[in-house]
Formats: sequence, C-alpha cells, structure tokens
Amino acid sequence: MRHVAQRPAIKHHKPLTEPVLLILMSLAAQPRHGYALIKDIEVLSRRRVRLSTGTLYGALRRLLDEGWIERFEQEDTSRDKQAYRLTSEGRRQLELELDRFRELSRAGFARLRLDEA
Amino acid sequence: MDAVFRVLLYLYPQRHRELLGAEMQAVFEQGAQEHRLLGPSQYLRFVLLELGGLVLHAAIAQFANATHRGYLENQVHGTLAPPQDLPDEVIEAQNRLAVNINQLSFAISHHQFVQARFYKNEERKARENLRQMREKYGIGDPQPLP
Repeated sequence: MRHVAQRPAIKHHKPLTEPVLLILMSLAAQPRHGYALIKDIEVLSRRRVRLSTGTLYGALRRLLDEGWIERFEQEDTSRDKQAYRLTSEGRRQLELELDRFRELSRAGFARLRLDEA
Repeated sequence: MDAVFRVLLYLYPQRHRELLGAEMQAVFEQGAQEHRLLGPSQYLRFVLLELGGLVLHAAIAQFANATHRGYLENQVHGTLAPPQDLPDEVIEAQNRLAVNINQLSFAISHHQFVQARFYKNEERKARENLRQMREKYGIGDPQPLP
C-alpha cells in the first residue's frame, strides 16, 4: 500500500484579494443581494472600502465560477435582485484564509515581543 | 446617467451581461439614488468611480474571456447547447456540475480522498439538478453529459 502524506490544506490555499475576502465574510453571516453586499462591506471595513458595481460583480462572477457562492431566488425579490449565499466550499475557503491571517498575526506579534524583550 | 451605465454594460462579454447585467444596472441605480441626496460633489465622485470601475472591469472580463474562456465553458463546451440559447437556470446548473467535476478531478489528482467523496456526492446532486432543469424547460439531452 502506498503511503500518502497528508499536507495541511493551507499549503494549497492562495491568498484572497480584499474584495473577495470581504464578500465571503459578508455572506458568511447571511445571504445578501448585490446592493446589500456593498452596504455591509462598507460597515465591515469601517467605511474604508466601498466596492463599485464593476468590482463587486467581477468578484461575484469569479466566485460563482469557482463554486464558492451560489445564486438563489428569494421570494420577495425580483429577477434583478438575486441573492447570493456561501457554498460549503466557499465557507471552507474563508476559514482557510482566516486561519492564514491568524497564523500571520501570531508570527507578527511574536516578532514584536522578541524585539521588545 | 442610468442610460450611460446601460450602454457601458455592452463592453462586457455577452455571457456576463446576460447573467449579471440587469442586477448590475439595478445596483448602480440604487447607489446613484442614494448619492444624489448627498450633494453634487458626492454624486459626481460616485459616478466617476462607478463608470471608471465599470470600464476597467469590462476590460478585465474581456481579457479573461479571450484568454481563458472560463474553464466552466470549456468543461461544457461541445457537449451541451450554446449557453446563449439556454435559460439562466440551466446555464447555472451546467456551471455547477462543471465546477463539481473540476473539484472532483482536483481532489483525486491530489489524493484528497475525503474531499473527493464529498465532491462526488455534490456532483451527483448537481447532475440531478441539471436533469430537473432540462426537464422543466423541456430541453432534450441528445448527447451524454460530461
């Protein structure tokens, strides 16, 4: 039997761009349609980021293509207000990215403490 | 300004426009309405950023379309009818299936067998969903699915 070493999943994970990360974070809480995403991302980023329509839908298209989010119909919305939600793969990718940030900040703080000592 | 935005949407590849154009227009109109109330300078800033962003991202989308053609479209190309002839729901079901096949292949080739089992299940569901969508729209399936 061939032994296959399990590599940590994080090694296969490419860092996400900021708009993509913010979109995934916003959808992690609840499904949203386009304009609600823009408004929520403004709040999430403390008014630092306001995505333009082009940026938002460029990112949404890529995320749909990757299967990280999916569109679905909400009963109270029209066709031009489709809602988006995270798929299980999208949630996994978000967790990987947040783990990466956690590791980075841990390493960064460790260096700072070393410098102070 | 809504009309200018609508015209600039034609800079995007047809697929993108068909899938997301109406939504993009609605989002722009909502944003424009909100910024109009904040005064002329805020509105002008909003319009410039929106139109600039739209042109930039349309160019990126065209470039991606020309060089990549979307791996989803490659996955289904030749086995299914041209996407523009199909309802959005069917196209999305095809895309979902293509994504699952892609993820399944990736998982198998990287010896990630737990994930592979998961994607195999997802693929089965996606295949069934596509079958239902085709049935719903009365689309025949003369050729085997990928």
